[in-house]
Parts: sequence; structure tokens; C-alpha cells
Amino acid sequence: MDTQVIIDSFPALLDGLWLTVEITVYALLIGFCLATAVAMMRVSRNILLRAPVIAYIFFFRGTPLLVQIFLIYYGSGQFRAELTQIGLWHLFREPYFCALLTLVLNTGAYSAEIFRGAIQAVPHGEVEAARACGMSGWLLYRRIILPKAMRLALPAYSNEVIQLFQSTSLVSIITLMDLTGVARTIVARTFDVYEIYITAGLLYLAVTYGVLWVFRLVEHRLSGHLREREDPAAAVRDALRARA
Amino acid sequence: MALAAEAVARNPALVARDIHKAFGSVEVLKGVSLTAQEGDVIAMLGASGSGKSTFLRCINLLEIPNSGEVLVGGELIAMTKNRRGETVPADSKQVDRIRSRLGMVFQSFNLWSHMTVLQNVIEAPIHVLKKSRAEVLEVAHATLEKVGLADRADYYPAHLSGGQQQRAAIARALAMEPDVMLFDEPTSALDPELVGEVLRVMRQLADEGRTMIVVTHEIGFAREVSSDVIFLHEGRIEVQGPPDAMFGNPDSERFRQFLASNLTT
Amino acid sequence: MFDLKGYGWMLWEGLAMTLTVGACALLLAVVMGLLGAWGKLARNPAARLAASTYTTVIRGIPELLLLLIVFYGTPTLLQKLAETMGHDIRVDFNAFTAGVMTLGFIYGAFATEVFRGAFLAVPRGQVEAAYACGMSRALAFRRVMLPQIWRFALPGLGNVWMVLIKATALVSVIQLDDLMRKSFIAMGVTKLPFDFFFVAAMMYLGITAVSMIGQQQIERWANRGVQRA
Ligand SMILES: Nc1ncnc2c1ncn2[C@@H]1O[C@H](COP(=O)(O)OP(=O)(O)O)[C@@H](O)[C@H]1O
Ligand SMILES: [Mg+2]
Repeated sequence: MDTQVIIDSFPALLDGLWLTVEITVYALLIGFCLATAVAMMRVSRNILLRAPVIAYIFFFRGTPLLVQIFLIYYGSGQFRAELTQIGLWHLFREPYFCALLTLVLNTGAYSAEIFRGAIQAVPHGEVEAARACGMSGWLLYRRIILPKAMRLALPAYSNEVIQLFQSTSLVSIITLMDLTGVARTIVARTFDVYEIYITAGLLYLAVTYGVLWVFRLVEHRLSGHLREREDPAAAVRDALRARA
Repeated sequence: MALAAEAVARNPALVARDIHKAFGSVEVLKGVSLTAQEGDVIAMLGASGSGKSTFLRCINLLEIPNSGEVLVGGELIAMTKNRRGETVPADSKQVDRIRSRLGMVFQSFNLWSHMTVLQNVIEAPIHVLKKSRAEVLEVAHATLEKVGLADRADYYPAHLSGGQQQRAAIARALAMEPDVMLFDEPTSALDPELVGEVLRVMRQLADEGRTMIVVTHEIGFAREVSSDVIFLHEGRIEVQGPPDAMFGNPDSERFRQFLASNLTT
Repeated sequence: MFDLKGYGWMLWEGLAMTLTVGACALLLAVVMGLLGAWGKLARNPAARLAASTYTTVIRGIPELLLLLIVFYGTPTLLQKLAETMGHDIRVDFNAFTAGVMTLGFIYGAFATEVFRGAFLAVPRGQVEAAYACGMSRALAFRRVMLPQIWRFALPGLGNVWMVLIKATALVSVIQLDDLMRKSFIAMGVTKLPFDFFFVAAMMYLGITAVSMIGQQQIERWANRGVQRA
């Protein structure tokens, strides 16, 4: 172990981590809104709303993230003329934009499936009680169903968040300088495989468990006496089920 | 040689001496002793939670007693202290060997659900006692015949009634040709109409002269079949004696009350 | 639908490699998972610590980074080890082995939880009955637990497979000729990136769809054993 290498490259790695976090946060924020809308369409009784989002969810959950990134980043090149015409080419030319778009669509699909499950798990009686009070449509969703569903979705969603955070490492493949990208660049120059990659791995590890810890805390606050018994294995099982 | 053999023959089949067991700070057994001579059928009675199961499980070391001794056919199960000062068996090989000489029948049958009845019965004789398959099969079929399950040999446990499952479990224990059989409320999980078929098999085993320790709530069975009755109360033996004396004129008010409440239900 | 200019066969070759890598990695993951679950349930504190460190670390580090560590790190590690023992060797680590090893190790952590749950799902009483017959821990494990855990583990392993097969796309990064890399190569020649990646995506989707059907069959099979006649 050469600690000097680690010290020298640490600032660069932190810069990379910053991009990783930034792109994760943007993808999460936009993806969350997308997922909420998609989930509502998914549980709609109108087949015209439901069918397209079923296809969208199936596609993005059934294919590797890498193929999705390539499809958008390289694939858009095939439609360069058309995209230029409608003034979007300058966006698709940017790896950052393509990466973010892919991650948004990807997490949108996974989160939508989580939210769908949660919406359908909201007790029927509580929805009926709201209807009996004269609530319907968006009001019913906003005041009763969504707040309740979000609480139910939180454990699975926290897994999605850390999954997404780790998935962002793929953006290094299309030349972005995220944490993995920076690490790869340094290793290509110095060949200090262990020092650099393990430092990067520890940074990922720290953020992952930091985020999980925060979610634990929030869950704890929200669920109060309804808390289930702590089962660390359940988290991993949920993660698996969510990504499968 | 002849003298030694005689001495061995005179050893009681099973001795438990001053068994203590606590779960955490809860003392469940506060010094329980028992001696079973060969051919004895000892019925253990007691309210739920009085420690009957725990005592039975201490005998074959499914629970490790905190103190006390267990001797099977005169052989003492060696215990020792581990680093944390807990009592543990000194030799797990000895424990396995002793256990193979004690047959246990559980309240919830505990048949191995991935094996047929026959496979359940031949499993341990082949893999623990290392007997030849042919020999074991012969014994197994005879045993299944005895418990009235000859025609169910190739059924999986899930496809049997509770009474059939318990008889299969008895056959599994019997096939080991154990020196002592331990029964933990073998009929408590059964529908009332299925209790009789299991008790019939157990009565037959008693008549054959097998040594049995039976935890049960079947007062009638205890009265007619047992050679000795033990009444356990809060981890101690409250009263003990031959069934005639115990059921005729018990000299314990608690046991009298227990009998009264059990006979009416 | 698409004119693949005669490069379709490349994708089929890539698909075969993807499935091979996936199947081998799943096999390794099952072995690792059994070991991990054994560790997690062991009485030995060292084994428990090792098992939970394994799952914690794997869960917290991106697959791509782990792949890079294994692929570039292992040869160096082996060479250094050999050096300390006075040998001068050159280790060439082939991409297939690295890919299978990494994916197997990663998904072994997930399989660990699957098997842990499966072991805990075997009714405790059946294990006690085994002990009561004089079976040693090892024998009871082999004869009573091991044959039964599959029923509980298979649905979970189905999930592992479906996540794993998507993760195989990463091995293209270490130059293994899987579906992704073949598509990439074909794209370079034909200048039709969208067509090739779309067809590749459809192939992955096909695997997912078939796996989902298989998963349903497995679940039906797993439940059948439990139901009473
Ligand atoms: N594994 C255990 N851990 C903690 N307490 C136990 C355990 N097993 C039994 N007990 C307690 O020991 C007491 C006696 O239990 P048991 O021997 O099963 O009684 P019985 O069989 O007479 O109904 C009960 O209070 C029970 O709750
Ligand atoms: Mg009991």
C-alpha cells in the first residue's frame, strides 16, 4: 500500500464523488416526479393510460442500464439530422445529458413499480373513508393516498436510492468523470490499482451506508409505534425483489 | 465378566438427577430427578408451563441443563464448562450416541417433510447407526406394520392425517430400537377423534415392556398404562407415586385440583 | 424490422456468451451463497463476522468498480504473492474468468440472504428431530436441511438470476465478447448504433420475459410441495 498515492489523488476522487452525488440527486428528484405520475397511470383503470406505462416499466426494468445508456448516448447519433432539426442535438451530444436522461428514465421505472405496490397497499377502507368525506381525484391522491403510499414505499425506495447511487458508476463508461471515472483515469496513469480503487470503493461504501442510516432514521420517525422488527436481511431481499 | 455383565444389567435404563434449567433469569426446572428401570412407563403430568417439555428435552440434551446429571443405561453424559462458564456437553460424539439410544416423539410430529414415511423411518438407522439398508428396510416395514401404516409407507407427511403422522413419528423413533422412549404430549396436537389410534400404539409399546417417559394430558392413559406418575408444578416434582395411589387418593391438594380441572375438560 | 447488414449473427454469438457468463456466475453465486449463509448462521463469531463483512462490502460498492478491482487487481495480487515467495511470474487473467468471478462474488452476497432465509424457513422441529435421532450437526445439515432449502430458496434465486443476467452487460467493459460488446463492435462497423442497441435490448428483454415465466413455474412448484393434498 502506497499511502502517498491515496493522499495525492484524494482531492480528485472527492471531485468525482461530487459529480456522482450531483447526478444521483438530479436523477432522483426528476425520477421521483416521473415515477409518481407513472405509478398513478399504472393503477389507472383507463387502459390507454395504463398500457404505455406498463411497456415503459417493462422495458426499463427488463434491460441492463448499460444498454439503456448506449441506446440514448450512441443511439441518438443515428437520428442526428432529425434531432438537429428540432433543436435537441446539442443536448444529446452531451454525455452528461444522456447519462442523466437514462438514469431518470431508469429510476423512474423502478420507483414507479415501488410506488404502484405502495398505492395498491393503501388500505381500501381509508380510501373509502376519504371518498365518504367528498374527496376524489387529485385531492384524494394528494391528501390521502400519496402520503400514505410514500410511507409504505420508504423502505423499498431507500434501496432504490442506493441502487441508483451505485448505478451512476456506469456513466464513467461514456467518459463522465464521476468517482469511478476519476479512479479509472488515475489508475490508467499510475497503475496503483489497489490504492485507488479501494479508496474509491470505501467512499462509495461510506456514502451508501450514510444514506441508509438517514433513511433508517426517517423511517423510524415516520412509522412510530407501527415499527416492524429490525431485520437487516429484509433490506437486501427487498433490494433484490425491487431490481428483479 | 459375568459379574460385570450382571452389574450393567442392573443399571436403571434412565436416571436424571437434580436437573436445573433457567432461560435467562427464569428458572424453569428447580431440581427435578427421575429414575426409570427397564420396562417402566413413567407418566409426567403438570399444568402447561410447568416445565415438562423442558425436562424431557434436558434428558436428550436438546436443552442443556445448567446443572444435574443424566445417565442412560448407567452411562453418564459428561458435561464441562466452556470459557464463559456455561455448562456444555464435553463430547458431542457421546451426545449423538446417547441420543440414538433415546427415541423422542414430539408434540408436533416433526417428520422430515421432504422424505416419505418409509424414508423418515430408515434415515437415522442407516446414517446414524450405519446399519445395512436391507436390514433396516426389514425392521422398518415391520415397524410400520406395527403402527398400522404399512400401506402409507410411500406417502409424504403432508399427505397424511395428524394421527397417521404421529404414528409415523413413533415408527421413526422405534426403528432406532431405542432403550428409552420419550413422548412429549404426543396427542395434544391431534383432533379428538385421532387421539385413540395413537394411544393404542403407545399402549402396545408399553405392553411389550418398553421403557417410556410420557408427558401427557390423557389422564386415562396415565392411570391405565403407567407404572409411575410424576406431577410437576412450577419446575419441581410436587408429588409422585404409583398410579393407584396417585389417582385413588392423592396427598397433594394441587394435584387433586389439577385432576379435577383436567377431567372436566 | 431492422436491417442489421448481416451482423445479426454477431449478436447471437454475443447472446450465447452473455448466457454462458450468466449461468457460470449464477453457479458460483450459489456456492458463495451457501457458504455465506452457513457463515451467517454459524455459532463461530469469526465466521459470522466474515459473512456479514462480505455482504456489507458487496452491497456498498458498485458492481463496475468491483469488476475493475478483480480484473486489474487479481493479477497484480498474484504476481506480488509469487514475488514474495521468490517466483517471477506473469499472470494473465482472462476476461471470462474475471467476469464470472466478480459477478459470482457479487451475487453470492445476494444469494447469501436468500439461503439464510431458506435455512431459517426449515421448521426448527425437523432439525431437532434429527438431533434427537443422534444425528450430528453436519449430518442433520446434509440430510435434513440441505434437501429442503431449495424449495424456499429457488424463488429467491430466480430473482438473483434476473438481476445478474442484466449485470452481465458490464463484462463488456473488460473486453469480453458478450451481447453488449458485440453490439458495440457491430455499431462501429455499420454506424447504426440505435438499431444494434435496440435489438440487443430486445434480446435482454427476451431473457427477462422467459425468466419471468420460468420464475412463475418455479414458484408454483415450490408451493406445491407445501400444500396439503
Ligand atoms: N427456549 C426457551 N426460551 C425461553 N423460555 C422458555 C423456552 N422454552 C420454554 N420456556 C419457558 O419455560 C417454561 C416451561 O416450558 P415447558 O417446559 O415447555 O412447559 P410445559 O411443557 O410443561 O408446558 C415456560 O414458561 C416457557 O415459557
Ligand atoms: Mg410442553
